[in-house]
Amino acid sequence: MVPRSLGVAALVAFAIGAAPLAAQYADPYAAALARLDANSRFAIELVMDSARTVGLSDTTLRSRVLEGVQKHASASRIVESVRRKFAFLRTARTMLGQVSNEELDAASAVLEAGAKPAQLQSFKTRQKGREALEAFTIWADLITRGVPGEEASSAITKLWQDGADDATFHSLWNNVQADISQGLNPGAALQNRIRETPQRTVTPASKPPEGQEIQSSR
Amino acid sequence: MSDDAADVQRVLAGDVDAYAALVDRYYDRCARFAIRMLGNRDDAEDALQATFLRAYKALNRYQERDRFSAWLYRILVNQCRSIAARRAHRDKVFVREEALLLNAPDRAVVWTGEDEEFVQRVLSELDPLLREAFLLKYIEELSYEEMSALTGVGVSALKMRVKRACDRLRERWERIKND
Amino acid sequence: MTDSERHPYVELIAREARRPVQTDPAARARIMTAVRAEALPRSRSSIWERVIAPRSWTLSPMAGSLLAAGLVGIGVLAGALTANRGGRPSVDRATLGAVRPPVSDTIVKFVIVAPNAGKVSLVGDFNDWDETRSPMLRAEKDGLWSVTMPLSAGRHLYAYVVDGAWRTDPSAPVIDDGFGHRNSVKLVAKGSTL
Repeated sequence: MVPRSLGVAALVAFAIGAAPLAAQYADPYAAALARLDANSRFAIELVMDSARTVGLSDTTLRSRVLEGVQKHASASRIVESVRRKFAFLRTARTMLGQVSNEELDAASAVLEAGAKPAQLQSFKTRQKGREALEAFTIWADLITRGVPGEEASSAITKLWQDGADDATFHSLWNNVQADISQGLNPGAALQNRIRETPQRTVTPASKPPEGQEIQSSR
Repeated sequence: MSDDAADVQRVLAGDVDAYAALVDRYYDRCARFAIRMLGNRDDAEDALQATFLRAYKALNRYQERDRFSAWLYRILVNQCRSIAARRAHRDKVFVREEALLLNAPDRAVVWTGEDEEFVQRVLSELDPLLREAFLLKYIEELSYEEMSALTGVGVSALKMRVKRACDRLRERWERIKND
Repeated sequence: MTDSERHPYVELIAREARRPVQTDPAARARIMTAVRAEALPRSRSSIWERVIAPRSWTLSPMAGSLLAAGLVGIGVLAGALTANRGGRPSVDRATLGAVRPPVSDTIVKFVIVAPNAGKVSLVGDFNDWDETRSPMLRAEKDGLWSVTMPLSAGRHLYAYVVDGAWRTDPSAPVIDDGFGHRNSVKLVAKGSTL
């Protein structure tokens, strides 16, 4: 912890000295770019420019450059990664329309994990104020942990369409990842836990009519 | 330090008017590319405005060891691409007009090549990516490595595009010649 | 160059296209008008110049209270300071290289169990993935390392660097990092307290 008796200027000097990326440049992003060759810098800036041109935030892309440099990835790997991320962000925006930047980021991660763009379709129209951030986060995680893409997609989509809230998604994830870390097959773990998840957590307006049987999920 | 780098330094130090020197130095050349690429002056001017404004805002990211023209052109090429994408319908207009011109009784206009409009029509027939590669190679006279750095496209892909652009032009000549 | 490229018609088109175009001087004037309406592009002068030159530094109220509460990590404090450069607009967040925590941020505590580690730090999109910015502190006994970080509402990516190796948080959702590895995801709800 920083002793309170230190003067502010000394604090700043200590803090700045501890950040190698800031040695020559005020902006860590500029410093990160400076470590790459001219061709790669140009290629990256082209992507940034494209992103801004189509109204996408470049924050995520800049972060990826910084991450790549800190992970000592090769310049070409960084360029490729930034391009792919931009492509996924653009696709996510095409499928979802005007949603928050966070949701776009999370949805692009779902695509990057391997889901098909069409699978985002169900998340486009939604009740006002309802965010899919938790749903997308869990979805990407499940695929990354080994749940087959189709199964993860249909499970998450069905939950969403049934009106599941963030807590439902989160608790599903908690259970599934605990099962997987104990050795259970990821796909099986998901199926088990989905069966346990309350069906049709919807508002009265969209309840099924009397007498209609609630279908169980696969 | 080159003139460009010196002017950039001045602007970053607070002398906004130093930017006018950079604009003056590059505007006409950029305008030529934009007009040839987009086929009309309105779109070209939009692209140029956006380019020089973006370049100004990003000046602190310009590295002295890179050529300023290349850095600027990367922005210009991208602006032209996005404007072209938004107004794709105009290309179709050019092609239709060209067909009329080919069938016109007086062919003198087609042959002389003195007419700027004629060059625009011919260029507009090219697919935008081919046109862009052709312009960068033969009008801006860049090396393939410079083009690659500018566009983010690989050298061999660019060589292919330039070759295809020239093939198309040659085919066009064959068509006209044999009418 | 292939035959196509040396073809006289191709050369004709190229030659014509190379002719200079006439431009409107008013268009250039419009560019300068727009440029003057913009803020000055940020200068790249070195951090050390700013520290050494006589300037007054102010602590944002947030940083002040964080410091007083003993809750702040080094990286946070660096971002919380603003410099007044006499007449010029104060240095913005990107120039200082760290996020200045607005009052609406949530303080999040990051914890990892690493009993055998010698050095652990937190990296993420909130500190430019820089492992020198948020070193974690080890609690006396149980091998728990922790650090607190003010985070804006929304989604954040992060990881732990444990003795030089990047690790995800076992208790958080993961994603591909785009480099063949994984990152952890932290969702911070609006108006939440942790």
